[in-house]
Amino acid sequence: MSDSLESPRAGSGHADGEPLPPPHGGHDSHADPLLALANVEVLYAEVILALKGVSLSVPRAGCVALLGANGAGKSTTLKAISGIIDAEDGRVSAGGIIFDGRSIRGHDTAGVVRAGLVHVMEGRRVLPHMTVAQNLIIGGHMFPSTVAMRRALDAVYQAIPRLSELRTRTAGYLSGGEQQLLVIGRAIMAEPKLMLIDEPSLGLAPRMVEEVFAVLHRLREQGLALLIVEQNTRVALALADYGYVMEGGRIVLEGQADELRANEDVREFYLGLDREGGRKSFRDIKHYRRRKRWLG
Amino acid sequence: MMIEFVNYALNGALLGLLYALVAMGFVVIYRASKVFNMAVGEMLVLGAFLVWWAVAASAMHPAVGIAAALAISVLVGLAIERLLFRRLIGESVFSMIMVTIGLLILMRGLVLLIWGPQERPFPAIISLTPIIIGDMIVPRPLAAGGLIAVVCAAGLHWFFNRSRTGLAMSAVAEDHQIALAMGISVRRSIAFAWALGGVLSVITSMVYLSGKSLTFLSSEIGFAALPVALLAGLESIAGLLLAGLIVGIVQGLTAAYIDPLIGGNAASVVPYLFMLVVLVVRPTGMFGWKRIERV
Repeated sequence: MSDSLESPRAGSGHADGEPLPPPHGGHDSHADPLLALANVEVLYAEVILALKGVSLSVPRAGCVALLGANGAGKSTTLKAISGIIDAEDGRVSAGGIIFDGRSIRGHDTAGVVRAGLVHVMEGRRVLPHMTVAQNLIIGGHMFPSTVAMRRALDAVYQAIPRLSELRTRTAGYLSGGEQQLLVIGRAIMAEPKLMLIDEPSLGLAPRMVEEVFAVLHRLREQGLALLIVEQNTRVALALADYGYVMEGGRIVLEGQADELRANEDVREFYLGLDREGGRKSFRDIKHYRRRKRWLG
Repeated sequence: MMIEFVNYALNGALLGLLYALVAMGFVVIYRASKVFNMAVGEMLVLGAFLVWWAVAASAMHPAVGIAAALAISVLVGLAIERLLFRRLIGESVFSMIMVTIGLLILMRGLVLLIWGPQERPFPAIISLTPIIIGDMIVPRPLAAGGLIAVVCAAGLHWFFNRSRTGLAMSAVAEDHQIALAMGISVRRSIAFAWALGGVLSVITSMVYLSGKSLTFLSSEIGFAALPVALLAGLESIAGLLLAGLIVGIVQGLTAAYIDPLIGGNAASVVPYLFMLVVLVVRPTGMFGWKRIERV
Protein backbone atom coordinates (compact mmCIF):
# COMPACT_ATOMS: atom_id res chain seq x y z
CA MET A 1 0.00 0.00 0.00
CA SER A 2 2.24 2.68 -1.24
CA ASP A 3 -0.42 5.31 -1.49
CA SER A 4 -1.25 8.39 0.46
CA LEU A 5 -4.49 7.00 1.80
CA GLU A 6 -5.00 5.86 5.32
CA SER A 7 -5.60 2.20 5.86
CA PRO A 8 -6.89 2.12 9.39
CA ARG A 9 -7.44 -1.56 9.92
CA ALA A 10 -4.28 -2.82 8.29
CA GLY A 11 -2.20 -2.63 11.46
CA SER A 12 -1.61 -6.28 12.18
CA GLY A 13 -0.36 -7.04 8.73
CA HIS A 14 2.14 -4.24 8.58
CA ALA A 15 5.81 -4.81 9.13
CA ASP A 16 6.62 -1.21 9.96
CA GLY A 17 4.35 -1.40 13.01
CA GLU A 18 2.71 1.96 12.59
CA PRO A 19 0.25 2.59 15.44
CA LEU A 20 -3.42 1.91 14.81
CA PRO A 21 -5.32 5.10 14.14
CA PRO A 22 -8.26 5.83 16.46
CA PRO A 23 -11.50 3.92 15.76
CA HIS A 24 -13.00 6.58 13.60
CA GLY A 25 -10.19 8.61 12.34
CA GLY A 26 -11.96 8.95 8.97
CA HIS A 27 -12.66 12.16 7.23
CA ASP A 28 -12.15 15.51 8.74
CA SER A 29 -15.37 16.96 7.31
CA HIS A 30 -17.58 15.77 10.13
CA ALA A 31 -16.86 16.41 13.73
CA ASP A 32 -20.45 15.40 14.40
CA PRO A 33 -21.28 12.47 12.13
CA LEU A 34 -24.84 11.30 11.59
CA LEU A 35 -23.80 7.67 11.84
CA ALA A 36 -20.67 6.32 13.46
CA LEU A 37 -19.58 2.71 13.77
CA ALA A 38 -16.72 1.93 16.14
CA ASN A 39 -15.04 -1.47 15.94
CA VAL A 40 -18.25 -3.32 15.16
CA GLU A 41 -18.10 -7.10 15.18
CA VAL A 42 -20.89 -9.33 13.93
CA LEU A 43 -21.33 -12.94 14.84
CA TYR A 44 -23.59 -15.24 12.84
CA ALA A 45 -25.03 -18.29 14.60
CA GLU A 46 -22.63 -17.59 17.48
CA VAL A 47 -19.83 -19.04 15.35
CA ILE A 48 -19.02 -17.10 12.23
CA LEU A 49 -17.33 -13.76 12.71
CA ALA A 50 -18.54 -11.86 9.65
CA LEU A 51 -17.35 -8.39 10.64
CA LYS A 52 -14.04 -8.06 12.40
CA GLY A 53 -14.02 -4.59 13.82
CA VAL A 54 -15.54 -2.19 11.31
CA SER A 55 -15.31 1.53 11.97
CA LEU A 56 -16.83 4.06 9.66
CA SER A 57 -18.81 7.24 9.78
CA VAL A 58 -21.35 9.01 7.61
CA PRO A 59 -21.72 12.80 7.71
CA ARG A 60 -25.08 14.55 8.01
CA ALA A 61 -25.23 15.27 4.30
CA GLY A 62 -23.74 13.64 1.26
CA CYS A 63 -23.02 10.09 0.32
CA VAL A 64 -20.57 7.48 1.55
CA ALA A 65 -19.86 4.37 -0.51
CA LEU A 66 -18.95 0.95 0.81
CA LEU A 67 -17.06 -1.01 -1.81
CA GLY A 68 -15.64 -4.48 -1.99
CA ALA A 69 -15.95 -7.93 -3.50
CA ASN A 70 -18.58 -10.56 -2.75
CA GLY A 71 -18.52 -11.80 0.82
CA ALA A 72 -16.51 -8.86 2.08
CA GLY A 73 -19.18 -8.02 4.66
CA LYS A 74 -20.78 -4.97 3.06
CA SER A 75 -24.38 -6.16 3.34
CA THR A 76 -23.71 -7.50 6.82
CA THR A 77 -22.51 -4.04 7.83
CA LEU A 78 -25.77 -2.49 6.66
CA LYS A 79 -27.85 -5.19 8.36
CA ALA A 80 -25.95 -4.70 11.59
CA ILE A 81 -26.73 -0.98 11.48
CA SER A 82 -30.45 -1.38 10.74
CA GLY A 83 -30.91 -4.31 13.12
CA ILE A 84 -32.26 -6.69 10.46
CA ILE A 85 -29.42 -9.00 11.42
CA ASP A 86 -31.40 -10.15 14.46
CA ALA A 87 -33.86 -12.02 12.25
CA GLU A 88 -30.99 -13.79 10.48
CA ASP A 89 -29.50 -15.44 13.52
CA GLY A 90 -26.78 -12.85 13.77
CA ARG A 91 -25.90 -10.24 16.35
CA VAL A 92 -23.56 -7.36 16.92
CA SER A 93 -21.15 -8.90 19.39
CA ALA A 94 -18.86 -5.93 19.94
CA GLY A 95 -18.46 -2.29 19.09
CA GLY A 96 -20.70 0.74 19.08
CA ILE A 97 -23.24 2.08 16.61
CA ILE A 98 -24.20 5.69 17.18
CA PHE A 99 -26.93 7.27 15.06
CA ASP A 100 -27.84 10.92 15.48
CA GLY A 101 -26.16 11.05 18.86
CA ARG A 102 -27.81 7.95 20.29
CA SER A 103 -26.70 4.34 20.42
CA ILE A 104 -28.82 2.12 18.21
CA ARG A 105 -26.85 -1.05 18.74
CA GLY A 106 -29.23 -3.90 19.48
CA HIS A 107 -32.34 -1.79 18.90
CA ASP A 108 -35.12 -3.42 16.91
CA THR A 109 -35.59 -2.29 13.33
CA ALA A 110 -38.89 -0.52 14.03
CA GLY A 111 -37.14 1.76 16.51
CA VAL A 112 -34.27 2.40 14.13
CA VAL A 113 -36.64 3.33 11.30
CA ARG A 114 -38.50 5.66 13.64
CA ALA A 115 -35.21 7.30 14.58
CA GLY A 116 -34.76 8.19 10.91
CA LEU A 117 -32.63 5.44 9.43
CA VAL A 118 -34.04 3.26 6.72
CA HIS A 119 -32.50 0.26 4.99
CA VAL A 120 -33.20 -0.56 1.34
CA MET A 121 -32.32 -4.21 1.02
CA GLU A 122 -30.58 -5.86 -1.87
CA GLY A 123 -32.64 -7.47 -4.60
CA ARG A 124 -35.53 -5.02 -5.18
CA ARG A 125 -37.73 -6.35 -2.41
CA VAL A 126 -41.10 -4.93 -3.40
CA LEU A 127 -44.33 -6.36 -1.99
CA PRO A 128 -45.15 -8.16 -5.22
CA HIS A 129 -48.91 -8.57 -4.89
CA MET A 130 -49.66 -5.01 -3.95
CA THR A 131 -49.95 -1.98 -6.13
CA VAL A 132 -47.28 0.69 -6.31
CA ALA A 133 -49.47 3.03 -4.27
CA GLN A 134 -50.08 0.39 -1.60
CA ASN A 135 -46.35 -0.30 -1.38
CA LEU A 136 -45.69 3.38 -0.80
CA ILE A 137 -48.50 3.73 1.76
CA ILE A 138 -47.05 0.82 3.71
CA GLY A 139 -43.69 2.59 3.64
CA GLY A 140 -45.45 5.47 5.40
CA HIS A 141 -47.15 3.26 7.94
CA MET A 142 -45.80 5.13 10.92
CA PHE A 143 -47.27 8.52 10.11
CA PRO A 144 -49.68 9.53 12.85
CA SER A 145 -52.25 10.99 10.45
CA THR A 146 -53.47 10.22 6.97
CA VAL A 147 -52.95 13.83 5.96
CA ALA A 148 -49.23 13.69 6.77
CA MET A 149 -48.97 10.40 4.90
CA ARG A 150 -50.69 11.88 1.81
CA ARG A 151 -48.28 14.78 1.86
CA ALA A 152 -45.30 12.42 1.96
CA LEU A 153 -46.86 10.37 -0.83
CA ASP A 154 -47.16 13.44 -3.03
CA ALA A 155 -43.55 14.33 -2.25
CA VAL A 156 -42.45 10.88 -3.38
CA TYR A 157 -44.45 11.14 -6.60
CA GLN A 158 -42.81 14.50 -7.19
CA ALA A 159 -39.31 13.21 -6.50
CA ILE A 160 -39.82 10.10 -8.65
CA PRO A 161 -42.43 11.00 -11.30
CA ARG A 162 -42.16 7.55 -12.85
CA LEU A 163 -43.89 6.08 -9.78
CA SER A 164 -46.79 8.45 -10.19
CA GLU A 165 -47.50 6.99 -13.63
CA LEU A 166 -47.33 3.47 -12.24
CA ARG A 167 -49.38 3.93 -9.08
CA THR A 168 -52.13 1.42 -9.85
CA ARG A 169 -49.83 -1.25 -11.27
CA THR A 170 -49.05 -4.44 -9.37
CA ALA A 171 -45.51 -4.15 -8.06
CA GLY A 172 -44.51 -7.70 -8.93
CA TYR A 173 -45.00 -7.03 -12.64
CA LEU A 174 -42.87 -3.90 -12.86
CA SER A 175 -39.52 -3.94 -14.61
CA GLY A 176 -36.40 -4.29 -12.50
CA GLY A 177 -35.56 -0.60 -12.67
CA GLU A 178 -39.09 0.41 -11.78
CA GLN A 179 -39.02 -1.93 -8.80
CA GLN A 180 -35.75 -0.38 -7.65
CA LEU A 181 -37.29 3.08 -7.92
CA LEU A 182 -40.28 1.80 -5.96
CA VAL A 183 -38.25 0.46 -3.05
CA ILE A 184 -36.34 3.75 -2.93
CA GLY A 185 -39.62 5.66 -2.93
CA ARG A 186 -41.02 3.35 -0.27
CA ALA A 187 -37.99 4.00 1.90
CA ILE A 188 -38.28 7.78 1.68
CA MET A 189 -41.93 7.50 2.74
CA ALA A 190 -40.46 6.92 6.20
CA GLU A 191 -38.88 10.41 5.93
CA PRO A 192 -35.40 9.20 6.89
CA LYS A 193 -32.32 11.25 7.67
CA LEU A 194 -30.10 8.45 6.41
CA MET A 195 -30.76 5.78 3.81
CA LEU A 196 -28.71 2.61 3.67
CA ILE A 197 -28.99 1.21 0.18
CA ASP A 198 -27.67 -2.15 -0.88
CA GLU A 199 -26.67 -2.79 -4.50
CA PRO A 200 -29.20 -0.56 -6.25
CA SER A 201 -27.68 -1.29 -9.66
CA LEU A 202 -27.68 -5.07 -9.34
CA GLY A 203 -29.14 -6.74 -12.41
CA LEU A 204 -30.38 -3.53 -14.02
CA ALA A 205 -29.96 -2.43 -17.62
CA PRO A 206 -27.37 0.35 -17.96
CA ARG A 207 -30.03 2.91 -18.77
CA MET A 208 -31.99 2.00 -15.66
CA VAL A 209 -28.82 2.22 -13.59
CA GLU A 210 -28.52 5.78 -14.82
CA GLU A 211 -32.11 6.57 -13.93
CA VAL A 212 -31.83 5.05 -10.45
CA PHE A 213 -28.64 6.94 -9.72
CA ALA A 214 -30.16 10.16 -11.06
CA VAL A 215 -32.86 9.75 -8.41
CA LEU A 216 -30.24 9.08 -5.73
CA HIS A 217 -28.31 12.20 -6.82
CA ARG A 218 -31.48 14.23 -6.51
CA LEU A 219 -32.29 12.87 -3.04
CA ARG A 220 -28.78 13.62 -1.96
CA GLU A 221 -29.14 17.21 -3.10
CA GLN A 222 -32.35 17.46 -1.10
CA GLY A 223 -30.30 16.74 2.01
CA LEU A 224 -30.69 12.99 2.47
CA ALA A 225 -27.55 11.29 3.73
CA LEU A 226 -26.70 8.04 1.94
CA LEU A 227 -24.62 5.00 2.75
CA ILE A 228 -24.44 2.98 -0.42
CA VAL A 229 -23.11 -0.52 -1.00
CA GLU A 230 -22.22 -1.11 -4.62
CA GLN A 231 -20.29 -3.48 -6.79
CA ASN A 232 -20.56 -1.01 -9.63
CA THR A 233 -17.66 1.05 -8.32
CA ARG A 234 -17.73 3.58 -11.14
CA VAL A 235 -21.27 4.84 -10.55
CA ALA A 236 -20.89 4.56 -6.78
CA LEU A 237 -17.79 6.75 -6.69
CA ALA A 238 -19.48 9.25 -8.99
CA LEU A 239 -22.25 9.63 -6.41
CA ALA A 240 -20.21 9.37 -3.22
CA ASP A 241 -17.99 11.94 -1.52
CA TYR A 242 -16.14 9.39 0.53
CA GLY A 243 -15.57 5.70 0.26
CA TYR A 244 -14.53 2.67 2.25
CA VAL A 245 -13.21 -0.56 0.74
CA MET A 246 -13.98 -3.79 2.59
CA GLU A 247 -12.29 -7.14 2.39
CA GLY A 248 -12.80 -10.17 4.61
CA GLY A 249 -14.95 -8.37 7.17
CA ARG A 250 -12.57 -5.45 7.58
CA ILE A 251 -12.18 -2.01 6.14
CA VAL A 252 -8.89 -2.05 4.31
CA LEU A 253 -8.88 1.30 2.58
CA GLU A 254 -10.73 4.57 2.83
CA GLY A 255 -10.53 8.00 1.31
CA GLN A 256 -12.25 10.78 -0.60
CA ALA A 257 -14.03 9.50 -3.67
CA ASP A 258 -11.64 11.15 -6.13
CA GLU A 259 -8.65 9.84 -4.20
CA LEU A 260 -10.11 6.33 -4.37
CA ARG A 261 -10.77 6.76 -8.07
CA ALA A 262 -7.10 7.60 -8.53
CA ASN A 263 -5.89 4.80 -6.29
CA GLU A 264 -3.94 2.17 -8.13
CA ASP A 265 -5.45 -0.85 -6.41
CA VAL A 266 -9.02 0.42 -6.68
CA ARG A 267 -8.49 1.15 -10.37
CA GLU A 268 -7.12 -2.27 -10.92
CA PHE A 269 -9.50 -4.39 -8.88
CA TYR A 270 -12.77 -2.47 -8.90
CA LEU A 271 -12.71 -0.26 -11.95
CA GLY A 272 -10.90 -2.64 -14.27
CA LEU A 273 -8.48 -0.01 -15.55
CA ASP A 274 -4.73 -0.14 -15.94
CA ARG A 275 -2.32 2.60 -15.02
CA GLU A 276 -2.76 4.52 -18.25
CA GLY A 277 -6.52 4.48 -17.91
CA GLY A 278 -7.21 1.97 -20.66
CA ARG A 279 -9.56 -0.91 -20.01
CA LYS A 280 -7.91 -4.14 -19.05
CA SER A 281 -8.88 -7.44 -20.47
CA PHE A 282 -11.46 -9.00 -18.20
CA ARG A 283 -9.52 -12.22 -18.11
CA ASP A 284 -6.44 -10.48 -16.70
CA ILE A 285 -8.42 -8.88 -13.95
CA LYS A 286 -9.96 -12.12 -12.86
CA HIS A 287 -6.66 -13.88 -12.87
CA TYR A 288 -4.91 -11.15 -11.01
CA ARG A 289 -7.63 -10.76 -8.44
CA ARG A 290 -7.59 -14.35 -7.46
CA ARG A 291 -4.01 -14.01 -6.38
CA LYS A 292 -3.86 -10.60 -4.89
CA ARG A 293 -5.67 -9.85 -1.67
CA TRP A 294 -5.21 -7.05 0.76
CA LEU A 295 -3.66 -8.06 4.00
CA GLY A 296 -6.14 -7.40 6.72
CA MET B 1 -91.38 -27.65 -6.93
CA MET B 2 -89.82 -24.34 -7.77
CA ILE B 3 -90.29 -23.03 -4.27
CA GLU B 4 -88.62 -26.13 -2.93
CA PHE B 5 -85.60 -25.52 -5.14
CA VAL B 6 -85.33 -21.92 -4.02
CA ASN B 7 -85.65 -23.01 -0.42
CA TYR B 8 -82.84 -25.55 -0.70
CA ALA B 9 -80.65 -23.09 -2.57
CA LEU B 10 -81.28 -20.34 -0.06
CA ASN B 11 -80.53 -22.54 2.92
CA GLY B 12 -77.44 -23.83 1.15
CA ALA B 13 -76.33 -20.29 0.47
CA LEU B 14 -76.74 -19.32 4.11
CA LEU B 15 -74.86 -22.39 5.24
CA GLY B 16 -72.16 -21.40 2.75
CA LEU B 17 -71.96 -17.97 4.33
CA LEU B 18 -71.50 -19.66 7.70
CA TYR B 19 -68.61 -21.62 6.18
CA ALA B 20 -67.27 -18.32 4.89
CA LEU B 21 -67.42 -16.90 8.40
CA VAL B 22 -65.49 -19.89 9.75
CA ALA B 23 -63.03 -19.64 6.87
CA MET B 24 -62.39 -16.02 7.81
CA GLY B 25 -60.57 -17.49 10.78
CA PHE B 26 -58.03 -18.95 8.36
CA VAL B 27 -57.75 -15.85 6.21
CA VAL B 28 -57.48 -13.25 8.96
CA ILE B 29 -54.53 -14.99 10.53
CA TYR B 30 -52.99 -15.63 7.14
CA ARG B 31 -53.36 -12.03 6.02
CA ALA B 32 -51.52 -10.68 9.03
CA SER B 33 -48.85 -13.28 9.59
CA LYS B 34 -48.54 -15.61 6.57
CA VAL B 35 -49.33 -18.52 8.85
CA PHE B 36 -51.98 -21.04 7.86
CA ASN B 37 -53.83 -21.78 11.06
CA MET B 38 -54.78 -25.45 11.23
CA ALA B 39 -56.40 -24.96 14.63
CA VAL B 40 -59.34 -22.85 13.44
CA GLY B 41 -61.88 -25.48 14.47
CA GLU B 42 -60.32 -25.85 17.91
CA MET B 43 -60.30 -22.10 18.42
CA LEU B 44 -63.97 -22.10 17.55
CA VAL B 45 -64.70 -24.79 20.12
CA LEU B 46 -62.73 -22.88 22.71
CA GLY B 47 -64.72 -19.73 21.87
CA ALA B 48 -67.93 -21.72 22.12
CA PHE B 49 -67.02 -23.11 25.53
CA LEU B 50 -66.15 -19.63 26.72
CA VAL B 51 -69.59 -18.41 25.67
CA TRP B 52 -71.23 -21.47 27.20
CA TRP B 53 -69.29 -21.02 30.42
CA ALA B 54 -70.12 -17.31 30.66
CA VAL B 55 -73.75 -17.40 29.59
CA ALA B 56 -75.05 -20.85 30.59
CA ALA B 57 -72.82 -22.08 33.39
CA SER B 58 -72.10 -18.80 35.18
CA ALA B 59 -75.54 -17.42 34.33
CA MET B 60 -74.25 -13.97 33.43
CA HIS B 61 -76.47 -11.68 31.44
CA PRO B 62 -75.92 -12.70 27.78
CA ALA B 63 -74.45 -9.32 26.81
CA VAL B 64 -72.01 -9.36 29.73
CA GLY B 65 -71.21 -13.01 29.14
CA ILE B 66 -70.47 -12.48 25.46
CA ALA B 67 -68.28 -9.49 26.27
CA ALA B 68 -66.39 -11.60 28.81
CA ALA B 69 -65.97 -14.42 26.29
CA LEU B 70 -64.67 -11.97 23.68
CA ALA B 71 -62.21 -10.47 26.16
CA ILE B 72 -60.90 -13.88 27.21
CA SER B 73 -60.56 -14.99 23.59
CA VAL B 74 -58.47 -11.91 22.85
CA LEU B 75 -56.23 -12.76 25.79
CA VAL B 76 -55.91 -16.33 24.54
CA GLY B 77 -54.91 -15.03 21.10
CA LEU B 78 -52.28 -12.76 22.63
CA ALA B 79 -50.99 -15.59 24.79
CA ILE B 80 -50.61 -17.81 21.72
CA GLU B 81 -48.45 -15.15 20.08
CA ARG B 82 -46.42 -14.51 23.21
CA LEU B 83 -45.75 -18.16 24.06
CA LEU B 84 -45.39 -19.71 20.60
CA PHE B 85 -44.98 -17.40 17.66
CA ARG B 86 -42.76 -14.68 19.05
CA ARG B 87 -39.88 -17.13 19.20
CA LEU B 88 -40.43 -18.18 15.62
CA ILE B 89 -40.07 -14.83 13.85
CA GLY B 90 -37.33 -15.26 11.28
CA GLU B 91 -37.83 -19.03 11.15
CA SER B 92 -39.48 -20.59 8.13
CA VAL B 93 -43.21 -20.16 7.77
CA PHE B 94 -43.49 -23.91 7.48
CA SER B 95 -42.36 -24.39 11.05
CA MET B 96 -45.00 -21.92 12.16
CA ILE B 97 -47.67 -23.98 10.40
CA MET B 98 -46.42 -27.07 12.16
CA VAL B 99 -46.82 -25.17 15.41
CA THR B 100 -50.48 -24.56 14.61
CA ILE B 101 -50.94 -28.33 14.28
CA GLY B 102 -49.42 -28.69 17.72
CA LEU B 103 -51.77 -25.96 18.86
CA LEU B 104 -54.72 -27.94 17.49
CA ILE B 105 -53.82 -30.98 19.58
CA LEU B 106 -53.01 -28.89 22.63
CA MET B 107 -56.27 -26.94 22.51
CA ARG B 108 -58.34 -30.07 22.05
CA GLY B 109 -56.61 -31.56 25.09
CA LEU B 110 -57.17 -28.41 27.13
CA VAL B 111 -60.86 -28.30 26.26
CA LEU B 112 -61.24 -31.95 27.28
CA LEU B 113 -59.28 -31.33 30.45
CA ILE B 114 -61.29 -28.30 31.53
CA TRP B 115 -64.80 -29.12 30.34
CA GLY B 116 -64.75 -32.85 29.70
CA PRO B 117 -66.23 -34.76 26.78
CA GLN B 118 -69.92 -34.53 27.65
CA GLU B 119 -72.47 -32.78 25.46
CA ARG B 120 -73.59 -29.35 26.56
CA PRO B 121 -76.70 -27.51 25.36
CA PHE B 122 -75.42 -24.30 23.84
CA PRO B 123 -77.52 -21.27 24.83
CA ALA B 124 -79.75 -19.92 22.09
CA ILE B 125 -77.99 -16.60 21.78
CA ILE B 126 -79.75 -16.02 18.50
CA SER B 127 -83.46 -16.83 18.73
CA LEU B 128 -84.42 -20.07 17.06
CA THR B 129 -87.83 -19.16 15.65
CA PRO B 130 -87.46 -19.48 11.90
CA ILE B 131 -88.09 -16.61 9.57
CA ILE B 132 -90.99 -17.44 7.26
CA ILE B 133 -91.32 -15.56 4.01
CA GLY B 134 -94.25 -16.90 2.01
CA ASP B 135 -93.52 -20.60 1.64
CA MET B 136 -89.86 -20.29 2.52
CA ILE B 137 -88.55 -21.21 5.92
CA VAL B 138 -85.20 -19.83 6.94
CA PRO B 139 -83.56 -20.71 10.27
CA ARG B 140 -82.91 -17.48 12.08
CA PRO B 141 -79.35 -18.27 13.29
CA LEU B 142 -78.30 -19.01 9.72
CA ALA B 143 -79.89 -15.80 8.45
CA ALA B 144 -78.15 -13.81 11.17
CA GLY B 145 -74.95 -15.67 10.37
CA GLY B 146 -75.20 -14.69 6.71
CA LEU B 147 -75.63 -11.07 7.68
CA ILE B 148 -72.73 -11.21 10.14
CA ALA B 149 -70.54 -12.87 7.53
CA VAL B 150 -71.25 -10.11 5.01
CA VAL B 151 -70.62 -7.37 7.56
CA CYS B 152 -67.40 -8.97 8.84
CA ALA B 153 -66.15 -9.55 5.30
CA ALA B 154 -66.82 -5.94 4.30
CA GLY B 155 -65.14 -4.60 7.42
CA LEU B 156 -62.10 -6.83 7.21
CA HIS B 157 -61.76 -6.27 3.46
CA TRP B 158 -61.64 -2.55 4.05
CA PHE B 159 -59.23 -2.98 6.93
CA PHE B 160 -56.68 -5.10 5.07
CA ASN B 161 -56.81 -3.30 1.73
CA ARG B 162 -57.40 0.32 2.63
CA SER B 163 -56.37 1.17 6.18
CA ARG B 164 -52.70 1.76 6.81
CA THR B 165 -52.49 -0.57 9.78
CA GLY B 166 -54.12 -3.32 7.76
CA LEU B 167 -51.83 -2.74 4.79
CA ALA B 168 -48.82 -2.91 7.07
CA MET B 169 -50.10 -6.27 8.30
CA SER B 170 -50.59 -7.45 4.74
CA ALA B 171 -46.94 -6.59 4.22
CA VAL B 172 -46.12 -9.07 6.96
CA ALA B 173 -48.11 -11.69 5.05
CA GLU B 174 -46.09 -10.91 1.92
CA ASP B 175 -42.68 -11.17 3.48
CA HIS B 176 -41.59 -10.99 7.10
CA GLN B 177 -38.17 -9.60 6.28
CA ILE B 178 -39.41 -6.75 4.09
CA ALA B 179 -41.92 -5.83 6.77
CA LEU B 180 -39.16 -5.84 9.38
CA ALA B 181 -36.93 -3.65 7.22
CA MET B 182 -39.71 -1.09 6.91
CA GLY B 183 -40.02 -0.93 10.66
CA ILE B 184 -43.30 -2.81 10.86
CA SER B 185 -43.52 -4.77 14.07
CA VAL B 186 -44.02 -8.34 12.87
CA ARG B 187 -44.60 -9.32 16.46
CA ARG B 188 -47.48 -6.91 16.93
CA SER B 189 -48.99 -7.91 13.62
CA ILE B 190 -49.01 -11.59 14.55
CA ALA B 191 -50.42 -10.81 17.98
CA PHE B 192 -53.20 -8.79 16.41
CA ALA B 193 -53.93 -11.59 13.96
CA TRP B 194 -54.44 -14.12 16.72
CA ALA B 195 -56.50 -11.77 18.83
CA LEU B 196 -58.71 -11.11 15.83
CA GLY B 197 -58.90 -14.85 15.19
CA GLY B 198 -60.06 -15.32 18.77
CA VAL B 199 -62.80 -12.70 18.43
CA LEU B 200 -63.98 -14.22 15.16
CA SER B 201 -64.12 -17.68 16.70
CA VAL B 202 -66.42 -16.46 19.46
CA ILE B 203 -68.72 -14.73 16.99
CA THR B 204 -68.78 -17.73 14.67
CA SER B 205 -69.46 -20.16 17.48
CA MET B 206 -72.56 -18.24 18.48
CA VAL B 207 -73.90 -18.32 14.94
CA TYR B 208 -73.03 -21.94 14.38
CA LEU B 209 -74.06 -23.48 17.69
CA SER B 210 -77.01 -21.42 18.89
CA GLY B 211 -79.53 -23.94 20.24
CA LYS B 212 -77.41 -26.95 19.28
CA SER B 213 -75.34 -29.14 21.52
CA LEU B 214 -71.69 -28.41 22.07
CA THR B 215 -68.91 -30.96 22.44
CA PHE B 216 -65.22 -30.90 21.62
CA LEU B 217 -66.14 -32.53 18.31
CA SER B 218 -67.86 -29.38 17.09
CA SER B 219 -64.43 -28.41 15.78
CA GLU B 220 -65.16 -30.42 12.63
CA ILE B 221 -66.66 -27.35 11.05
CA GLY B 222 -63.11 -26.02 10.78
CA PHE B 223 -62.26 -28.61 8.19
CA ALA B 224 -65.66 -28.27 6.54
CA ALA B 225 -64.78 -24.64 5.92
CA LEU B 226 -61.37 -25.46 4.47
CA PRO B 227 -62.68 -25.91 0.90
CA VAL B 228 -64.22 -22.44 1.05
CA ALA B 229 -60.95 -20.87 2.17
CA LEU B 230 -59.00 -22.62 -0.56
CA LEU B 231 -61.57 -21.88 -3.26
CA ALA B 232 -61.44 -18.17 -2.43
CA GLY B 233 -57.69 -18.12 -2.12
CA LEU B 234 -56.10 -17.59 1.25
CA GLU B 235 -55.54 -13.87 0.84
CA SER B 236 -58.99 -12.72 -0.18
CA ILE B 237 -61.60 -11.87 2.41
CA ALA B 238 -64.31 -10.60 0.06
CA GLY B 239 -63.74 -13.64 -2.11
CA LEU B 240 -64.76 -15.86 0.78
CA LEU B 241 -68.37 -14.74 0.42
CA LEU B 242 -68.57 -15.83 -3.21
CA ALA B 243 -66.72 -19.06 -2.52
CA GLY B 244 -69.00 -19.74 0.46
CA LEU B 245 -72.09 -19.17 -1.66
CA ILE B 246 -70.82 -21.49 -4.40
CA VAL B 247 -69.89 -24.30 -2.04
CA GLY B 248 -73.03 -23.86 0.09
CA ILE B 249 -75.49 -23.82 -2.79
CA VAL B 250 -73.88 -26.80 -4.51
CA GLN B 251 -73.87 -28.71 -1.24
CA GLY B 252 -77.49 -27.80 -0.45
CA LEU B 253 -78.74 -28.87 -3.86
CA THR B 254 -76.71 -32.07 -3.79
CA ALA B 255 -78.24 -32.95 -0.45
CA ALA B 256 -81.73 -32.29 -1.80
CA TYR B 257 -81.61 -33.90 -5.22
CA ILE B 258 -78.68 -36.28 -5.52
CA ASP B 259 -78.53 -37.88 -2.09
CA PRO B 260 -82.02 -39.46 -2.33
CA LEU B 261 -81.09 -40.93 -5.74
CA ILE B 262 -77.93 -42.64 -4.62
CA GLY B 263 -79.05 -43.24 -1.09
CA GLY B 264 -75.80 -41.92 0.29
CA ASN B 265 -74.34 -38.76 1.68
CA ALA B 266 -72.84 -37.12 -1.38
CA ALA B 267 -73.39 -33.65 0.05
CA SER B 268 -70.61 -34.02 2.59
CA VAL B 269 -68.15 -35.10 -0.09
CA VAL B 270 -68.90 -32.43 -2.66
CA PRO B 271 -67.03 -29.58 -0.92
CA TYR B 272 -63.88 -31.67 -0.75
CA LEU B 273 -64.22 -32.60 -4.43
CA PHE B 274 -64.38 -28.87 -5.06
CA MET B 275 -61.27 -28.40 -2.99
CA LEU B 276 -59.32 -31.05 -4.87
CA VAL B 277 -60.32 -29.60 -8.24
CA VAL B 278 -59.31 -26.12 -7.10
CA LEU B 279 -55.96 -27.33 -5.84
CA VAL B 280 -55.25 -29.02 -9.18
CA VAL B 281 -56.57 -26.36 -11.54
CA ARG B 282 -55.79 -23.16 -9.71
CA PRO B 283 -53.81 -23.66 -6.51
CA THR B 284 -54.07 -20.01 -5.49
CA GLY B 285 -57.87 -20.06 -5.51
CA MET B 286 -60.19 -17.66 -7.29
CA PHE B 287 -58.91 -14.47 -5.71
CA GLY B 288 -55.67 -15.47 -4.01
CA TRP B 289 -52.28 -13.95 -4.69
CA LYS B 290 -50.82 -15.64 -7.71
CA ARG B 291 -47.13 -16.41 -7.43
CA ILE B 292 -45.51 -13.73 -9.52
CA GLU B 293 -42.54 -14.96 -11.47
CA ARG B 294 -40.67 -12.58 -13.71
CA VAL B 295 -38.48 -13.93 -16.41
